[in-house]
Amino acid sequence: MSAQSSEHATEHPQAGPRTYLVIAAFLILLTVMEVAVFYIPALARVLIPLLIFLALAKFGLVAMFYMHLRFDHVWFSYLFVAPLVIATGLAIALLWLLHVFGSTGLRPATGG
Amino acid sequence: MLVPGARTGALRARALPAQPRGGIGGVFGDPPERLAVATTTTAAALPHAGAHAEPRGLAAWLTTVDHKRIGLLYGVTAFVFFLVGGVEALLIRLQLAFPDGRVVSAERFNELFTMHGTTMVFLALMPLSAAFFNYLVPLQIGARDVAFPRLNAFSYWVFLLGGLFINSGFLYGAAPHAGWFGYATLTEKPFSIGPHTDLWLVGLLLLGTSTLISGLNFLITILNLRAPGMSFLRMPMFTWTTVVTSLLIILAFPPLTVALILLLFDRFFGTSFYLPAGGGSPVLWQHLFWIFGHPEVYILILPAMGIVSEVIPTFARKPLFGYVAMVYATALIGFFGFGVWAHHMFAVGLGPIADSAFSLASMIIAVPTGIKIFNWLSTAWGGALRLRTSLCFAFGFIAMFTIGGLSGIMHASPPVDLQQTDSYFVVAHLHYVLFGGTVLGLFAGIYYWWPKMTGRMLDERLGQLHFWLMLLGMNLTFFPMHFLGLMGMPRRIYTYPAGLGWETWNLVATAGAATIGLSILVFLGNALRSAARGPAAPADPWDGRTLEWAIPSPPPAYNFATVPTVLRRDALWLTKHPDARGPGLADAAALVSGREPIHMPPPSAWPILTASAMLVLSVGALVHEVVVGLGAALTIAGVFAIALEHLPARAVPAGGHEAIHIGTTGLDHRKMAMWAFLGSECLFFGTLISTYLVYKGRSLSGPTTHEILNIPLTSFSTFDLLMSSLTMVLAVAAIQRGDTRATQRWLLATVLLGLVFLGGQVYEFNQFLGEGLGLTTNLFGSTFYVLVGFHGAHVSVGVLWLATLWHLTRRGRIGPGQAVLVDIAGLYWHFVDVVWIAIFTLIYLIQ
Amino acid sequence: MRRLRWWRLAPLGLLVAVALTGCGLASPATTLAPKSDFGRLSHGIFLEILWWDVGIFAVVAIVLLIAIARFRERDPASLPRQVRGNARLELAWTIAPVIVLTFIAFPTVSTVFRTQAAPTGDALRVRVVGHQWWWEFEYPDLGITTATDLHLPAGQPVMLELTSPDVIHSFWVPQLGGKRDTPPGQVNRILLTATAPGAYPGQCAEFCGLSHANMRHTAVVQPAGEFQAWAARQKTPAAEPAEGSPAAKGRDLFRASACVGCHTIRGVSGGGLGPDLTHVGSRRTIAGGMLPNTPAELARWLRDPPAVKPGSLMPNLHLSEAEVTALVAYLTSLK
Repeated sequence: MSAQSSEHATEHPQAGPRTYLVIAAFLILLTVMEVAVFYIPALARVLIPLLIFLALAKFGLVAMFYMHLRFDHVWFSYLFVAPLVIATGLAIALLWLLHVFGSTGLRPATGG
Repeated sequence: MLVPGARTGALRARALPAQPRGGIGGVFGDPPERLAVATTTTAAALPHAGAHAEPRGLAAWLTTVDHKRIGLLYGVTAFVFFLVGGVEALLIRLQLAFPDGRVVSAERFNELFTMHGTTMVFLALMPLSAAFFNYLVPLQIGARDVAFPRLNAFSYWVFLLGGLFINSGFLYGAAPHAGWFGYATLTEKPFSIGPHTDLWLVGLLLLGTSTLISGLNFLITILNLRAPGMSFLRMPMFTWTTVVTSLLIILAFPPLTVALILLLFDRFFGTSFYLPAGGGSPVLWQHLFWIFGHPEVYILILPAMGIVSEVIPTFARKPLFGYVAMVYATALIGFFGFGVWAHHMFAVGLGPIADSAFSLASMIIAVPTGIKIFNWLSTAWGGALRLRTSLCFAFGFIAMFTIGGLSGIMHASPPVDLQQTDSYFVVAHLHYVLFGGTVLGLFAGIYYWWPKMTGRMLDERLGQLHFWLMLLGMNLTFFPMHFLGLMGMPRRIYTYPAGLGWETWNLVATAGAATIGLSILVFLGNALRSAARGPAAPADPWDGRTLEWAIPSPPPAYNFATVPTVLRRDALWLTKHPDARGPGLADAAALVSGREPIHMPPPSAWPILTASAMLVLSVGALVHEVVVGLGAALTIAGVFAIALEHLPARAVPAGGHEAIHIGTTGLDHRKMAMWAFLGSECLFFGTLISTYLVYKGRSLSGPTTHEILNIPLTSFSTFDLLMSSLTMVLAVAAIQRGDTRATQRWLLATVLLGLVFLGGQVYEFNQFLGEGLGLTTNLFGSTFYVLVGFHGAHVSVGVLWLATLWHLTRRGRIGPGQAVLVDIAGLYWHFVDVVWIAIFTLIYLIQ
Repeated sequence: MRRLRWWRLAPLGLLVAVALTGCGLASPATTLAPKSDFGRLSHGIFLEILWWDVGIFAVVAIVLLIAIARFRERDPASLPRQVRGNARLELAWTIAPVIVLTFIAFPTVSTVFRTQAAPTGDALRVRVVGHQWWWEFEYPDLGITTATDLHLPAGQPVMLELTSPDVIHSFWVPQLGGKRDTPPGQVNRILLTATAPGAYPGQCAEFCGLSHANMRHTAVVQPAGEFQAWAARQKTPAAEPAEGSPAAKGRDLFRASACVGCHTIRGVSGGGLGPDLTHVGSRRTIAGGMLPNTPAELARWLRDPPAVKPGSLMPNLHLSEAEVTALVAYLTSLK
């Protein structure tokens, strides 16, 4: 509100267009890898962890550089990452409670 | 520095020549210090301020953005809804006073208990807490208003209209009738015909919007607008509970929103999210509802705990015992609140492992709760107690809440819970928590802050009478319900036969309810008496500890003549009663007598107009699609109006940043709010994605993932969206270095890439429809279209937003000084991008 | 003020006294006198937590009352000692609840696993189906389908398999133990052994619509021999009324009317929406446990079901008085 805080008002990220282009190249590379992995039958066994890892890498790059969490005030990271962790926890708990990790699916009604 | 004789209200604003007069109408008086009503965010606009006509009378209330007026509006409205919910409760008790009651029909009874719960939770207790947040939090942190005054007004109007909307069913015999918890399949079309449930679910979506926005508003206000020197561990306890409550709101409401949206799709568009016949599961509703519902319990109780933590130290004349532990206990209660929801579902059949896990997690919550109770007791212990009404309510809170908490331990144990859940025992438990806890706590706050809010004192004798009647009444009402539950009486029954031994205690409970009603009449009498001829309240009637007691009662519109500088916790108290380590405030007298230029936000009609547009949209859902379209168009127009209302006619040059949006932390409110909103969105999309994954492979018929998903097309879409993130971030970089031409170019590129993505999605959806996958074909279709559709809707909003920014930049209305506007839009856009990264992997690649 | 303090706990004390003595808590639907192994297990934990609760509340209440009595403001000019906390005390009341909760957690978890164990081979299976608004009981191994009265043998484990075709109900016989919901699309189980013969009332515990309050049932626990006899009777086909009797007239009317669309009477009709009526005359109650099974109540029910039971899916068939009499004669004959 008051003027005394004004010098902190704008936070310029320390990354420039050059960094952004490099990140873009990485993102495209990772996407190409994702699609490639999807079509390679030999990787079918490790497909899911591999894909999740690649997605997390992309997610992290966008959040850290394009959303400049890396260079910004740490509160922004808290405000975003804490809910993200809770959301992930809830999602995993829900999948577990609704028997997705078991092979059965929801317990079906037996005997009609 | 220290005003002499400070013990009882000597910090009155003697320096002010024209003090605002008492009474609700006097709150918005015009003292000479009210220098400016700045219409814009820049100092440049100050000279024009005098020309601004201040609305008066009703118009002033309809267009107010003053947090104190909005607080009063919240308080009065919520209290009226509290009375409505109370009358519903009395009718319920009348019906059950005797066996085979015939006061109301089964149909009316079901509507009454549904609306009693819905009203008390969403329309009475939460908004009453919001009234205190609104009025007090800016005062306690030494701010002049909340971070987003117009959004604050918008929240209020949506709440009011949403409340009227959901209650309107009583007028045409279609009030909601399936319980405040709305369990599927009872809320589904075959079992709930007519507008009852539609009204409920659309109404809750409205109220959720209001609550979510005010949660964001208060979180950002507290994080960003604390007076200089007020570090986190110097904040008053009530402000702390507001922080945690706001966080809970931000994180808990999105799952409810998703649950309601899925139900809306079931009811309006024929999907089967909760219908087993189509492969869906009614248990999913329960999970989503209680993922919201249990944090909601803490949303209801934490503010009351905060109030009690203010009241007891004041009237014990002693600091809050174990302040730091109280802060951590509050935060832990909030955090654990997300891990215990399934204890509402032990009877559903989750299996022994889940039962045990949720049982243990629920028990853990007793630990921070116990810390709180013992710290309150220790605060009173050794104090110099002044047993004013407010303190009586606070002590009543401790005793009654303890009973509710202790019976809660029983419900944390599944074997015991199986006997007690859905019986009157649980009704007793929840009312000891929400009446004995929340309501008594809120009354402690009402008696405590009434003088500050109205400028008049309440009568102490009537207050005591109110307290004792209410305490007696609530124990007569709710304690016998323990017995009824143990005697096998289920909840939510409109009648019961004689001969089960339930007659006596039901009659006692009804007599108790009448006693509570009587106590409310005493309070209303006291309030009216105070308004009519109550003695004027001094600035500091209780020898208070927090900043609101340093300024007149009621405070002037701008709150503090000078923004305070806080040196210690309990700043005002330590200024009045300094110890060896010195006073708590740098200059207490300046708070009322300083003469720095003050910017206050001008009134605005757009909040109420936009809220009305949302009402049109909601009514449309029950009436006709054309009305929906009209309401949606009006709502979008209203959002634009709010967004552009204060945008300067010419771009702000670099360095001429918008001081009013910058908090004492040096961070921009809007950027912080965007991050908090994105946090909330994580829960929204997280819930939608979970739903998709839960239902994966459960489709009973029709095409499924691997038969239909087009990987080459979506790979291209992914590439397209990633590139749009690049152009977006280049636009931000461009405006930050002052290159508006490049900004326009990159914004336009982002918009076009967004449109290409949307085009791809339209094409994809068309392909799917052509291959026989519709929204209602199977669960895969339903979850796919809803998840990807909501993502697409987010992309569309982003395209519209960025196109607007592009247009405004071209018109020279946004310049380097407002780079943050592009920055914020960029954050939103990148978030939409990362959600797509998750969708692409989880939906398209992992089949 | 001094006298008022005692007022504070007077109503509460009275109620606690009532609770402890158990007087005024007698009910045929009580949870406090368990008549099954399942009920007894949960009751034990309930009592344990109850005593902890009473003790903890007593501590809180006594500390609060002493504080109110002792620490009044006497001299406004002098402040009490400004204590801000006490790490040792605070640690103590962080650890104490953990210890108490451990005592509660152990029996809780072990009971959770014991009561949800896999069924033993000798358990009698009963399919319990919650309908809006009546309970259906099917004994797949015995070939019996009945409604509203759940007959159970004493001393033999029973596996109740709960489900519902419409909305969520909750099966609850308080004297036999805790409740379980019937979410459609899922089968839940209750494993219990009833220990004492008797008739124990219960009713649906999950709000299930208009007549939720009227969805009642009775668990009839019988000694093994009596149960066998009952089962044998239930397996027989429906009683054939003597030709020319009022009951025979009722049977013909039943056959010719809409009744057959919803009700099964083995050998007469095969409807599946309403309760099986093959031995309806042998039941204690009708209309989802709402009315005693007497000719007068049965007649009242047949005249206009929705008027008796709000929302009843059985419509008013606009029967004449003669038709009602004939149907009552027939249905009561189906022992």
